Amino acid sequence: MEPEELTELALEAAVAAGAGYADVRWVREETEGLTVVDGRVDNLEAEESSGLGVRVLVDGCWGFAASAVLDPARARALAGRAVEVARASAATGGEPVRLAPAEPAVASWSTPVGRDPFAVPLAERVDLLLAACDAQRSVAGVAHAKGTVDLWRRRTVLWSTEGTRVDQTVTQTGAGIEATATGGGDLQQRSWPNSFRGQFQAGGWEVVEAADLVGNAPRVAAEAVQLLAAPVLPERVTTVILDGQQLSLQVHESVGHPLELDRILGMEAAYAGTSFVGPGDLGRLRYGSPAMSVTADATTPGGLGTFAFDDEGVPAQRSPLVAEGVVAGFLTSRETTTDGAGSGGAMRADGWGAMPLIRMTNVHLEPGQGTLDELVADTADGVLLSVNRSWSIDDRRVNFQFGVEAAWEIRGGRLGRLYRNATYDGRTTELWGSLDAVCGPGEWVVWGVPNCGKGQPYQNARVGHGAAPARFRDVHVGGVGR
Amino acid sequence: MTAFGSERLLEVAEAALGTGGADDVEALVYRQAGGLTRFAASRIHQSAWREDLWVRVRVVVDGNRVGTATVHAADPAAVRATAGRAAEVARTMPPDPGYPGMPGPATAYPEAGRHDEATAGADPATRAGLVAGVLRRLPAGVAAAGACETRELEIALANTRGVRAAGATTGAGFSILVDAGSGTGWAEGTEPALADLDVATLGERAARKAMDSREPRELAPGTYPVVLEPNAASVMVQWLGWLGFGAKAYDEGRSFLVGRLGQRVCSPLVTIVDDATAADTIGVGFDFEGVPKRRVTLIDEGVAASLVYDFRAATGHGVEPTGHGLPAPSAEGALPMHLSLLPGQTPQADLVAGLERGLLVTRFHYTNLVNLMDTTITGMTRDGTFWVEDGRVVGAVRNLRFTQSILEALSSVRAVGAETEMATEDGYGAARAPALAIDRFAFSSATTF
Repeated sequence: MEPEELTELALEAAVAAGAGYADVRWVREETEGLTVVDGRVDNLEAEESSGLGVRVLVDGCWGFAASAVLDPARARALAGRAVEVARASAATGGEPVRLAPAEPAVASWSTPVGRDPFAVPLAERVDLLLAACDAQRSVAGVAHAKGTVDLWRRRTVLWSTEGTRVDQTVTQTGAGIEATATGGGDLQQRSWPNSFRGQFQAGGWEVVEAADLVGNAPRVAAEAVQLLAAPVLPERVTTVILDGQQLSLQVHESVGHPLELDRILGMEAAYAGTSFVGPGDLGRLRYGSPAMSVTADATTPGGLGTFAFDDEGVPAQRSPLVAEGVVAGFLTSRETTTDGAGSGGAMRADGWGAMPLIRMTNVHLEPGQGTLDELVADTADGVLLSVNRSWSIDDRRVNFQFGVEAAWEIRGGRLGRLYRNATYDGRTTELWGSLDAVCGPGEWVVWGVPNCGKGQPYQNARVGHGAAPARFRDVHVGGVGR
Repeated sequence: MTAFGSERLLEVAEAALGTGGADDVEALVYRQAGGLTRFAASRIHQSAWREDLWVRVRVVVDGNRVGTATVHAADPAAVRATAGRAAEVARTMPPDPGYPGMPGPATAYPEAGRHDEATAGADPATRAGLVAGVLRRLPAGVAAAGACETRELEIALANTRGVRAAGATTGAGFSILVDAGSGTGWAEGTEPALADLDVATLGERAARKAMDSREPRELAPGTYPVVLEPNAASVMVQWLGWLGFGAKAYDEGRSFLVGRLGQRVCSPLVTIVDDATAADTIGVGFDFEGVPKRRVTLIDEGVAASLVYDFRAATGHGVEPTGHGLPAPSAEGALPMHLSLLPGQTPQADLVAGLERGLLVTRFHYTNLVNLMDTTITGMTRDGTFWVEDGRVVGAVRNLRFTQSILEALSSVRAVGAETEMATEDGYGAARAPALAIDRFAFSSATTF
């Protein structure tokens, strides 16, 4: 049965059962994850999942039901179950949910793709990763060489009782390498273009080609070996330059999440947490220095948070979150909007089986000027911190600590010795208040964060962050281990 | 009686086994269904029900070319098509010289897991009623958030070597965070059956902690004696499970146990086992390769005692697999997924009574690995962090960040609580643990609330 037919059946059944509002998403997801380790295929996971998710409002209460096991009778039954769930939700009372008005969306859209990554023969993908592993293992001292390619495609058919009819297909591609050196009771890794399986963008095989895994493999492997012999970063307060990869996660954890309006309103309190930002801080709270401007932009080409419509059928938007250091906006939905505003189009669900939540789209630190080389040359004393290896932040998004793969001393405007096991920590507004330079558009890359967790049941989201290397003053750094 | 039933699930699996031209075929069927009633600001706001069923087929051709494919569907035609896709993948894969074959049939599978029909069939009104009842009993002026969840899990596995395994289990969870203004409190329970969850007591515990947490004072970071309640202790056990009890991780040098097997790594008061057959855990009697699960003592009175093995690693080492395999071939290798730090002799209340000066910690938040080989993790305390003097809680303190080696913390365990709880950290994994009294625990910075 065609997805539109199942969707319509469920929509009609939801209304017949008493839903005042309903939207139904049929989602088909294809994923392929390939891992090559030390010259052999370690794992290839190919998965196909399709299912239906029915969301209803009954007397101002939400209900949601979803299933992968589908036929016409089950589609109707699913709608009935969603209404049953919503009716039960009235047990605790409270203000009814009201949705901000939104024009019904009627459209089809697909991610622009250069070369369809799913059409790239498996043998070609394997050969690329084998070559990248060989290039890593050509460096003496490398214990393990790893290469990965991940492909994701999600088609969503979204229909609502307000007339929305959206058919949208998002294709995302990623690849990376990871060299490991071991010895003396220690283990060090260096990754390219990013850690945790590499760089991910919306698009096709061209994303993999742009990463030049083979060309970068010898350098990455050599750095892993050098790290094993490097000293642990000494503790001190100093100037820090974060590279774009690490900065993207700093933006994610300490800017994106605190500005999600559902967190601010307490809707994620028990699980992901809340925010130090309050609803009344809009236009008032100084978040960072004037060098800090942050934008949410679901229209950015190549972003993991790029789409044409969110999972409520709201068009993709670009809007300021922080303007020259002051809070200028929140990430919002139709249920959670600021006074008089419509939805910001940030509602996204982890496939057919989950209720949409407010999620980051692409949250960018806007570029400044100059190159990384110029920024280093302009720094008398400090450290350059590169590529994330651990992250943690408190439940109101204030106190953070990040670990990175590599740290280079900066002295007299030049990069110096390499340090291992580096961490830095601080508090959100203090760090952003100390930002004094962001590199320019030539250094600005939309980095993918493919593993953003939120919600109950747990949902994963893939989001993007444009970032260029940036400099912060008076940051506490240190190292862990021997 | 389960929703699908073992026979029907095995029929779904067997649809894959006739794949033409294959040397070996394995089909794993996994069905999970359940509801979650989520509340915030003392009202239900995101209630949901979901059912998923997936079939993962592994096909081997030419002796050692291995392909897998997964589909979320139950009809035989979709399963056969997926098996065909897995065979296609296998034919394009390079040979796997280490392919160990597939396990054969077991003589018996251990009794494991508990399937409770009332939990499997719990409707949204039941969950909503439990939530509403707890909220009604909270003190005036507080707000609560949390979730009540019920779920049913069915697994079946069949392969062309004769394995036929099927099992079912249920689980129920309730968590509650109470916000009393300048302080928050939290409690959580997880049990195989909903009827065993004492949600009223959990609500009272969270409310009491919230009231006691008000007006926290600042405490300088430093190294303090602590009592970690079961949830916080459980997080450390779960991290150890990820960091190196698996034979593959050990063989590849990415295990904290490299060079330490047989050595003392913790206090003699610490024994950690993995046991899917325990009555108080949630699981089935076989792993994702159809191998019977065995109880494995990983840390025995402080000594690193053993690893867990999937079929591939066991074949390589010439030992019996322990029943800890993930769907093969797995990048992770074997993992212990039913961990338990065994209880001691000291009632939990007495752990605090025995603390001269130090901290009582309810819960950790957002822990993450900082350094694998020395098991250093970092994270925050949350929803109830208290200062203790002369064995009594004297007030709340602001939340602190810890940066601490797990093994070093477990080496300075002074006493182990007599009661255990199954606990999670934000829904990732689960482990059963008692409260722990630890002499030295390093807090590296503080937050503002």
